[in-house]
Amino acid sequence: MSTELPGPGDEALGRRLASELPRYTAPARLRVAIVEAADRPRRPVWLAPLIAAAATALALVLFMLPVLPRIAPADPVQQMVRAVVNEHSRVLMWGARQPQILPAGLPWLTQETGIDLRRAFAGDDRLDFVSAEPVYLTRQRGLALHYRDVDGHFVSYIMLPAERGFTLSESDRVLIEGRWRPMLKRDAGFVTWVWKQGDVACFLVSDMVSQDDLERFKDYFVRVRVATEPTIAY
Amino acid sequence: MADLEFQREALQHLDALYNFAMYLSRNPPEADDLVQETYLRAFRFSHRFQPGTHLRAWLFQILRNTFLTFYRLRERETAVAEDGVPDWDVPMFHDTSTDEGGALEAHTDLERAMRRLPEEFRTVLLLAEVEGLPLEEVARVMACPVGTVKSRIFRAKERLRVMLKDYGTK
Repeated sequence: MSTELPGPGDEALGRRLASELPRYTAPARLRVAIVEAADRPRRPVWLAPLIAAAATALALVLFMLPVLPRIAPADPVQQMVRAVVNEHSRVLMWGARQPQILPAGLPWLTQETGIDLRRAFAGDDRLDFVSAEPVYLTRQRGLALHYRDVDGHFVSYIMLPAERGFTLSESDRVLIEGRWRPMLKRDAGFVTWVWKQGDVACFLVSDMVSQDDLERFKDYFVRVRVATEPTIAY
Repeated sequence: MADLEFQREALQHLDALYNFAMYLSRNPPEADDLVQETYLRAFRFSHRFQPGTHLRAWLFQILRNTFLTFYRLRERETAVAEDGVPDWDVPMFHDTSTDEGGALEAHTDLERAMRRLPEEFRTVLLLAEVEGLPLEEVARVMACPVGTVKSRIFRAKERLRVMLKDYGTK
């Protein structure tokens, strides 16, 4: 690096620079703008990165939400109700995978599910039978019967082996015709009758959630309950 | 935020900073932004200023750093030549283009020559000769040794003289 000292000619040029070079004066509005900006409370420097990080985290959570594990309910009845409602929704949207008709399909259904239907509700003037099919819910084989009522409501009757932990509490019980006291559960916009018939846990699911619909749904329960007799075949 | 006394003292140097910003940016709106940003930074970090040291030099230092951070970075991002080689990828002490674009017109040969000097040379001349800062303060602003400042002043004047001679013969 050169370290030459300025000579006499340099001093003259320096003086020229100091005296002849035009000087620019700050406009008055600039001073005002600076003072105003200085008085304005500024956002803390950490706020912007914090907001950016929070937004990124939120976007990630929203993106990952469908694959995050759902919090499973501790109550085994509630777990089964959720599984039954999911199955009902699936059939509602996509239809049955292995539809069978009654009574022709009963032997095969019993063989596949381990549940024997000594009697089965095959539909009437209010409920049309749609299909029957084997299901696999909460790690158990089961049997589903699907109906559609005259108003277009889809109704699923699903039977699963009742495990030891499957105990219906007294709460949410509804007395129907002075004979039956099934439990009424609501989940994900659907309503489900839950009862136990021998060693079989039975579920009747529909979207009939309003008070008026519920009266009819009670009637459907009676029709199905009276006419169907499921047992564990093996 | 800075107290009122610090603000008042700092604003006494507004014209000097604006003049420096004009010679750096060569554009009044950019000079406005540069000076405003310099003051906002100075007020925000006023607690870092050591009382008893040269406030004027400290402000010049902030202004130059702000200029280098924002304006040169922007130039580098946009100035890519047609052959794919960035315009900024040239020796450090190159002369600035004579094409001034939308910049303010120079009034004198001396001013025109100053504007053509590379930033490193222009800054040392402005701080040492025009603003009268001691070489030690200029070295602090430029973040280099005093010997380097002396060398740059010498070479800057040499180049300035050549340019002024060229303008005189044209």
